Amino acid sequence: MVIQTLLLCGLIIFSGLAIIFKDLLKAALSLAVASLCLGIIFFRLGAPYAGVFEISVVAGLITVLFILTIALTKKEREIKEANLTRIAFPLFFILFLIIDGLVMKSLLQKVPALPSEPEAGIFGEVLWKQRTFDLVAQIGVILAGVLAVLALFRKKEDEKDE
Amino acid sequence: MSNLWFFYLFFSAVLIFIGIYCLLTMHNLIRLFIAVEIISKGVSLALVATGAVKKSVLLAQSLAITYIVVEVSLVATALAIIINIYKKNKSLDVRLLSKLKG
Repeated sequence: MVIQTLLLCGLIIFSGLAIIFKDLLKAALSLAVASLCLGIIFFRLGAPYAGVFEISVVAGLITVLFILTIALTKKEREIKEANLTRIAFPLFFILFLIIDGLVMKSLLQKVPALPSEPEAGIFGEVLWKQRTFDLVAQIGVILAGVLAVLALFRKKEDEKDE
Repeated sequence: MSNLWFFYLFFSAVLIFIGIYCLLTMHNLIRLFIAVEIISKGVSLALVATGAVKKSVLLAQSLAITYIVVEVSLVATALAIIINIYKKNKSLDVRLLSKLKG
């Protein structure tokens, strides 16, 4: 439980750093470390497949995409964020922590945990037999993403000829 | 069991707060998508933690995997749009996007 709490704190800290850092590259790397923490939390919660996806896809692929975009847009002139937002963040954060703690504590007494039965079978059966329709939709989403990226980087006809 | 569930929901809510704060206050397009990523981390943590606590972790992690795939698709498309916006405006300032013609 102590390790789990430390990992959760690490997740929060690195996510916070991702928005506090002025350098976008540092922010993207901080986000990757947060994803790594989340992946390890998934492993420890007994969800190894979700953990593998989180670490390989989110911490790996999405970070690469972010770094690529930052590199392609590097010459941008500095966008000045209001200093007040960075100064006010810790204040709002502590305020939210207090409110969140109070709300969760009050909900703890009132909202009963939903009844559930332990699952039978293995992950493959659940994924392929119970959620077949979702998987079809998932393939559709991947195709839509690929087509959207292709459409966005399409060149005009006259540019192709040159 | 219930205590543990609320413990994870607490952290999940904190992540969602960090993301929403960034979305409301920042102006850099890439930073806004970092905020969307942080929010999605909070949601997937809530999803898997709820599954683990309610002893239905198999279904929860298959849902989390679907969610991650959708997230990747969204980020790839969004970053492509951001690069196109940068090519056109030479800036990533989200306030410039409100100056639309027509």
